[in-house]
Amino acid sequence: MATIEEVLELIKSGYTNPKEIARVMGISVEEVSGIIKILESLGYIEKVKLGSSVCNRCPMKKICSGSCIHFKGQIYQISEKNSSNSSKTT
Amino acid sequence: MKKVIALAGNPNVGKTTLFNALTGLRQHVGNWPGVTVEKKEGIMKYKGREFLVVDLPGTYSLTAHSVDELIARNFILNGNADVIVDVVDSSCLMRNLFLTMEILEMGVKNIVIALNKIDLAEKKGITFNFKKMEKVLGIPVVPTNAKDGTGIEDLKRKIVAVADGRITVNPVVPVYDDIIEREISHISEILKETALAERYNLRWLAIKLLTRDEEVIKLVLSHLGHEKMDEILHHIGELEEHYKKSLDIIIANQKYEFIDNLIHQFVTHFAEQKETLTDQLDRILTHPVYGMLSLLAIFYFLFKFVFTVGTPLQESLDSFFGVLGDNIGRYIVNDTLRGLIVDGIIGGVGSVLSFFPLVFLLFVAMSLLEDSGYMARAAVVMERIMRKFNLPGKSFIPMVLAFGCNVPAVMATRALDDERDRILTMIINPLVPCSARMVVITFLAGVFFERHKALVAISIYAISLGLALISALILSRFVIKGEESPFIIELPDYLIPSWKSVVIHSWERSKEFLKKAGTVILAGAVAIWYLSNYPQPVGTGLSYAEIIGRALEPVTKLMGLDWKAAVSLIFGIIAKENVIATYGVIYGIGGNEEALGVLMRQAMSPLQAFVLSLVTTLYLPCIATIAAIRAEGGTKWALVASLYNLILATVIGILVYHLGLFIMG
Ligand SMILES: Nc1nc2c(ncn2[C@@H]2O[C@H](COP(=O)(O)OP(=O)(O)OP(=O)(O)O)[C@@H](O)[C@H]2O)c(=O)[nH]1
Ligand SMILES: [Mg+2]
Repeated sequence: MATIEEVLELIKSGYTNPKEIARVMGISVEEVSGIIKILESLGYIEKVKLGSSVCNRCPMKKICSGSCIHFKGQIYQISEKNSSNSSKTT
Repeated sequence: MKKVIALAGNPNVGKTTLFNALTGLRQHVGNWPGVTVEKKEGIMKYKGREFLVVDLPGTYSLTAHSVDELIARNFILNGNADVIVDVVDSSCLMRNLFLTMEILEMGVKNIVIALNKIDLAEKKGITFNFKKMEKVLGIPVVPTNAKDGTGIEDLKRKIVAVADGRITVNPVVPVYDDIIEREISHISEILKETALAERYNLRWLAIKLLTRDEEVIKLVLSHLGHEKMDEILHHIGELEEHYKKSLDIIIANQKYEFIDNLIHQFVTHFAEQKETLTDQLDRILTHPVYGMLSLLAIFYFLFKFVFTVGTPLQESLDSFFGVLGDNIGRYIVNDTLRGLIVDGIIGGVGSVLSFFPLVFLLFVAMSLLEDSGYMARAAVVMERIMRKFNLPGKSFIPMVLAFGCNVPAVMATRALDDERDRILTMIINPLVPCSARMVVITFLAGVFFERHKALVAISIYAISLGLALISALILSRFVIKGEESPFIIELPDYLIPSWKSVVIHSWERSKEFLKKAGTVILAGAVAIWYLSNYPQPVGTGLSYAEIIGRALEPVTKLMGLDWKAAVSLIFGIIAKENVIATYGVIYGIGGNEEALGVLMRQAMSPLQAFVLSLVTTLYLPCIATIAAIRAEGGTKWALVASLYNLILATVIGILVYHLGLFIMG
């Protein structure tokens, strides 16, 4: 299977770590992360809002300036686009 | 009119840096019409001529999924630019050329590639045959380092040459498999008849139709009418059947492979796969076993650091508030007022405030962990453990956030797809000690344990996290596992945090603690003071505090805790720090001169203190968290979560107390 699709399939099958995907596919982690960006801009995966965005909506925000944890990683989840595609073809 | 030069490219490739290098200080910042995306324009001077340079938003492709993409795409599509400078990060060529191909596919001929960050590519060991690259791509290529200005003059020269039509550009465009190519020709044939042919590249329109691009469908529909459009879409549907996929991913894939083939013609040496420091660290820090151990070790040293540096400061602040109380007390004649101010406010709030240095240091340590990139690793380690305990994978997000505060953590359960998973996560979420409980844990560990303070603190964390996991395992038996959308976690490289940002961040966070001391804890202290003095002062057995406390004592006694602990736990529901404030008030009454810590040590054994901090950590989420659970999951689940925590805390409190008694003989 070709590269972009393969990364998507590996994510769908439960891989959560780009390093493992890189190892399985025999490409560099940077390439995997580039493909992740492309998949995002195609709408197949989407950023999971966390940390700061949750904190901005927090009702405690006025009295709380910083109990929110920021971990600098980024989580992408499979978007709804995928399920609409599979239903299209079935 | 000035000729227009547009800078396009992926995010973070150096467009703005290049923009600055081309325009110097002659710039203007505004917004793109109708949206709040920043638009930068500036003037480039070359041999006495002036050109207008526009910095387009960075994108990875030119689909119609985001505002940024649409702005960049429409700018190019409408022919607004006389020259497009495609800024390419030479150190990650594949994804950069993906965008290049999307641009070329629009039929663009007036384009120059700035092969930027060439210094980084060299560092990585990537080497190019530039001549070959120009030939293969059919576009002028200028290696640049926008940061130090290398190649900028050359780039300017090429830009102007393209603008003047002195260089002929003949770009490649991606070629797809036969089926798709046939369909492209077919659609182009149909479109040829329309007015679209004059304005747009038909191949591009056809490809965008195949990918079901909404904007292009609208555009074509207005020229073709419904009948012909439906025919085309029907055809596309058949192709999708054939590939069993949407065509956008098929086309993206083939484009990607096309680029891969091109690159091999002009990149003469690829990056060596060296193991970076980040890789080496990650091998340990995200390892299934060592990762967990290092997580514990890191938190242990975090507490160790806080205690070692912070305790002396805390002690001097505590005696400062003692002296302050005494001195102020002398000037207040009215007994009640003196009691309120000295015992209630200074005693209660002061005992909490004396912890400011520890709180600040805790936040310094936390900020260090965040800024360095470690927190993201801790999340990965947590994620792996949580799966083992039947929690949905993504629940690690709320669980990690909970270390800061349970309220946003409960809100973050929205990231979970399944309702039942969400509720399960909400119920166990309060078992993760938040930063307010970290203060109480630090306080009690600091007061009651001469040595091993950090070990005591970390063991309370370990117990409550363990309970969260075991609870998950048990509770998940009662819920049917929901479906979860898969996800992937990208980790940032490790960075040495800048002291400035750490200090600012920690200060921001500890300010909240001060604010809380001035509001919730102050109000709590006044209330506790009132309950402890009316109708009769504490000690007579007639104060409200004693009456309430003694009513609960039969239960707390089982955990070895007296009525004072019972009262303090009640006030702790409002804000967990009030547990300490309560002791500050109650011990202050009756003119005790000693520091709070000394008094508490006389009244409680270390075992009792351990149980108290454990119970404080577990027993009930604070009011704000209960409200958050109610808002996210409904009243029923807010009650269930509160009850579950309360019962769990009681049972564990009793168990630990008796186990402790047994061990110590
Ligand atoms: N080593 C190196 N770094 C560069 C070069 N050009 C830019 N950078 C750095 O790359 C980072 C991103 O640069 P920007 O100019 O902000 O990138 P951008 O394309 O405008 O980014 P967005 O506006 O987010 O799309 C900055 O830290 C620059 O200092 C280069 O040629 N070499
Ligand atoms: Mg920029």
